[in-house]
Amino acid sequence: MLKDISIGRFYRGDSVIHKLDPRFKTILFVLFMVAVFMLENPYAIGCLIVFSIVLQIMAKIPPKVMWNTVKPILPIVILIFVLNALTIRDGKEIFSWRRILITDTGLKSATLMSLRLLMMIFITSIILTLTTTPLKLSEALEKLFGPLKLIKFPVHEMAMMMSIALRFIPTLIDETDKIMKAQVSRGADYDTGTVLKRLKGYVTVLVPLFVSSFRRADELSTAMDARCYNGGEGRTKLHPLHITLRDIIVFIILSLCAVALVVIEKAL
Amino acid sequence: MDFIASARDVRFSYSDSDRYAVDGASLFIEEGSYVALLGANGSGKSTMAKLLDVIEVQDEGEIKVFGIDTKDDARFWDIRCNVGCVFQNPDNQIVGTTVEEDVAFGPENIGVKNPELAERVYKALRYVGLYDRKESQTAYLSGGQKQKLAIAGVLAMKPKLLILDEATAMLDPVSRDEFLSLAERLVREKKISILTITHDMTEASRTDKVLIMDKGKITMEGDPREILNDVPKMLEAGLDSPIYSKLLWELKNVTGVDYPVDSARSITSSLRYLSTRFTGVRINMPKEKHPQKETLISIRDLSYRYEDKGPYAIKDINLDIKKGELLALVGRSGCGKTTLITHLNGIIRSEGKGKIEYRFGNETYTTSSKRDIKKIRQKVGLVFQYPEYQLFEDTVYKDVAYGPKKMGLKGDELDKAVREAVKIVGLDESVLEQSPFELSGGQQRRVAMAGVIAMKPEVLVLDEPAAGLDPKGRREMFKTINDLKESGTTIVLVTHYMDEAYEHADRICTMKDGMIMEVSEPCRMFEDKEELRRMEIRSPYLRRFLEILSIRLGLDPVSRKNLLKAQSVRQAALMIGGADA
Repeated sequence: MLKDISIGRFYRGDSVIHKLDPRFKTILFVLFMVAVFMLENPYAIGCLIVFSIVLQIMAKIPPKVMWNTVKPILPIVILIFVLNALTIRDGKEIFSWRRILITDTGLKSATLMSLRLLMMIFITSIILTLTTTPLKLSEALEKLFGPLKLIKFPVHEMAMMMSIALRFIPTLIDETDKIMKAQVSRGADYDTGTVLKRLKGYVTVLVPLFVSSFRRADELSTAMDARCYNGGEGRTKLHPLHITLRDIIVFIILSLCAVALVVIEKAL
Repeated sequence: MDFIASARDVRFSYSDSDRYAVDGASLFIEEGSYVALLGANGSGKSTMAKLLDVIEVQDEGEIKVFGIDTKDDARFWDIRCNVGCVFQNPDNQIVGTTVEEDVAFGPENIGVKNPELAERVYKALRYVGLYDRKESQTAYLSGGQKQKLAIAGVLAMKPKLLILDEATAMLDPVSRDEFLSLAERLVREKKISILTITHDMTEASRTDKVLIMDKGKITMEGDPREILNDVPKMLEAGLDSPIYSKLLWELKNVTGVDYPVDSARSITSSLRYLSTRFTGVRINMPKEKHPQKETLISIRDLSYRYEDKGPYAIKDINLDIKKGELLALVGRSGCGKTTLITHLNGIIRSEGKGKIEYRFGNETYTTSSKRDIKKIRQKVGLVFQYPEYQLFEDTVYKDVAYGPKKMGLKGDELDKAVREAVKIVGLDESVLEQSPFELSGGQQRRVAMAGVIAMKPEVLVLDEPAAGLDPKGRREMFKTINDLKESGTTIVLVTHYMDEAYEHADRICTMKDGMIMEVSEPCRMFEDKEELRRMEIRSPYLRRFLEILSIRLGLDPVSRKNLLKAQSVRQAALMIGGADA
């Protein structure tokens, strides 16, 4: 049931994007997020879509994996579309029925907002989650936010927490699936009934899931203790991050793309 | 200093408990030895392991590891870095997303630098045979591979003492054997001392020394050949003995003639003794069981895959489940057993032409009809592995009542169903108002089972119902299962324990790579050794012993054939001892 969800799952590969230094990837991620939110012009957005697809091809991620990543958030995308379309009431009327009024501004804004969200997930997964292992990502964040250690901000701990959370996503998805199957076989029904009834039904999944997460956390911390984990002080790395010339070139090209998108937006 | 680890009069209680988990335990582990720590669930074994690795610190007493006091704050890191631990649940000890990242986690923590770091990681991976998968994702490894990965992670730390805390409990027999051979190689080749905490008596009998823990104390220690073979004492401690000593003990019960203590020490000595007493006995035909004929569930051409165009999880399954029988389903992890049983109550439904037909009373139902599904779910109860992880209500009563309530039971009828179910699984009614989360693991499992039994299923499907329980818990679980069967419930049992399948099943069904290899009566299943190897199935220990025994006793072909029909130690003893008298 839940096994197809691949948000947060790493997709193994050896593409340029996979090999790019995670610090650069993190910076690129921020750049593109800014770009995504600045774009309003349809041509610029068109360019962004083309660019994302080029990015996907560069990262050698099969469309099916991409689809599974985007699929789970489609309901939210649709919800945002509908809400925007219904609530924005200025602009030219396109359709109206009783109290429902759909205008061209509303439609435009709805399309824009839902496309933004979609592109956000799309780009985030390609640049970060699908092509970067959680440990690499947390290493990058630890390095990038390193200076914050000076003001006693627990940079390493935050990074570690994040990477463990990501590492456990597949495990917890499997577990949720198991619990749901067990409750279904005891007569639970998650597919029919009113929204409220369905939400209540999920208690039968959430309670065991929480209980087991605490148990897992407990066992994992014991295992980490046993393996001499003692915070970030004095830790070494099997594959320390180091920046190659290729990294720099790829980074520059991709950041120029982000800048170019903004320029297109402003110019048109 | 001979001892790599020693504990004297250690007491320890967890901060949230008023009971001592370890209560005056003393133990000594010699350098380079392989020691087993046995005991019932909750006897304090795992706590002892944590104390030795300084994950917890004792309240009273003294523990020294490598000659260092665990209370020495300045040096406890020297202990922790040199003690490696592998725990029971493979998922909850992996930190890395990829195999090599995970192995590197330990050495990175203690600041090992490249190139030594890389060398340690890859050497450890080669040693356990996972080097080819160094870039694989840890989440997608099999259980056996995950445990090997855990060992690699420990090896990369170059430990002097390795603690295995029920590390093989979740593995199938083939993976378990591989894991144990690996552990034995470590002792032999790397001179690493091992302390293994286990419920598996066969594993314990392969060690140099056995420690038995009961209520926080070490109650017995010594040569496994002496300790384990003392059958009455082991049973009393909630444990078990190897097959050969149990057979001697049962023979004594049957014939009234005691056996010399020495004869129970090993397979060889027991065979020698048995051959002096019972050579050439004639063994009569055991009473034939009447095979069940009436088909309750018939599965036809069932195939299923989790992804379109992906590999088949099960393929072309044809199987009849007979009314009132106990059918055991065996096969390696990932062979499709769980997928198959999940079909049995329509949680997943097959594609294409495959179908399952049920005959309850005079009615026929199929999973292809949406209307029948509800009825099928009530009539076919499914208890998944570790069902205690699915409890959710705040009282046992409510949790057990959840299923029957969904089936439409109300009032007195519901109350009766709940109380009956709790009784069947052997729990006292006093637990009904307690929170399920306050109970012990074994009791929680029973509550979860009661939740399914309360729906009054005609068929009960149990996926590893005894997993993780101590030998006594396993025996009680099988008593409950046999009681259910006696009362007319049809049972489908998925298990990794061949001896239990052999003893309790009417028929055994073996699976491999999603397909059914063979379905037959237990005594027929293990006749062809070649076939077993092909199916990746291990013969039950009892069967292996009886095969050797029949040769040593020089049995005539008919007697031999009859003896091999014995499905339990007790039956074998009755056959041999009965013939004697």
